Amino acid sequence: MSRQSMRANDPKKVSGELFTLTYGSLVAQLLKDYENVDDVNRQLERMGYNIGMRLIEDFLARANPGRCYDLRDTADKIQQAFKLYLGVSPSIGSWSPGGDEFSVVLETNPMAEFVELPDHCLGLRYSNILAGVIRGACEMVQLEVMAWFIADQLKGDNVTEIRVKFVKRLEDAIPAGED
Amino acid sequence: TMAVCVAVIGKENSPLYVWVGSGREELHLHYLAHTGLDVIQEKVAAVNKTPGDTRELYLGLLYASEEYKVFGYTTNTRIKFVIITDAANTTLRDNEIRMMFRRLHNMYTNVVCNPFYIPGEQITSREFDQGVGALVAGN
Repeated sequence: MSRQSMRANDPKKVSGELFTLTYGSLVAQLLKDYENVDDVNRQLERMGYNIGMRLIEDFLARANPGRCYDLRDTADKIQQAFKLYLGVSPSIGSWSPGGDEFSVVLETNPMAEFVELPDHCLGLRYSNILAGVIRGACEMVQLEVMAWFIADQLKGDNVTEIRVKFVKRLEDAIPAGED
Repeated sequence: TMAVCVAVIGKENSPLYVWVGSGREELHLHYLAHTGLDVIQEKVAAVNKTPGDTRELYLGLLYASEEYKVFGYTTNTRIKFVIITDAANTTLRDNEIRMMFRRLHNMYTNVVCNPFYIPGEQITSREFDQGVGALVAGN
């Protein structure tokens, strides 16, 4: 995202910088409020869950994706959603032998642009909201998954990687909202 | 190298970042950067009086001594950048100094966009360090 590039902007779109700054200030405030990195990680995931359960409706309405017949289809849709909402194209890989686990790999993370983690926050999963979004979105289409970060460029890793694991299908169960 | 000293000075005139080339007289250069502030203040006051919409951020040569030339740049948020070069370095054109300040300004903006950086604090960003390194090496 070059500050110098001029883009013809859709008036309804918010600038990437505003989004990044907003998210950054959210994380910084959470750290101030909770003072404890694990609590912040948890809160971010929970917030992500609440976003995901709503965002999925928008995704379904907008992208009108077809039905998913297996986890690979689901992974494809997740990839599509990253492109649609964050403007990045992650790759999907590292499938487990049983086909029930995969990785979403990001070469760039727009949420973490300009961020440098201070030494006292190295346990912080800065973009943990994304893990929650994946979990919340999947739950609304009757899929229970676990999602967590296994690599983060903010911590010096080469890529940012989210692991997604299929837990079970939710049949006719109305998911309980997070409190 | 393109410069012997690069400094970022906050709006209360406290130094936020000072880089001095290796083997250079650190204290003397700190002092020169600091005295540059007075000149900056004069220039900014003069610019304020002239009518016009755009205020020039690049302040040009603040002053020169036998050994060094001191250049200044200010932002609308009262952050000041100072670049000191060898007086003997005649190959550096005004245009190039302007470019260096522009890059420095962009790098500073990136630091400020880090949610963990509090404006007014000392700058300890690794990215910024690397940026300054590239800047003075002429990359």
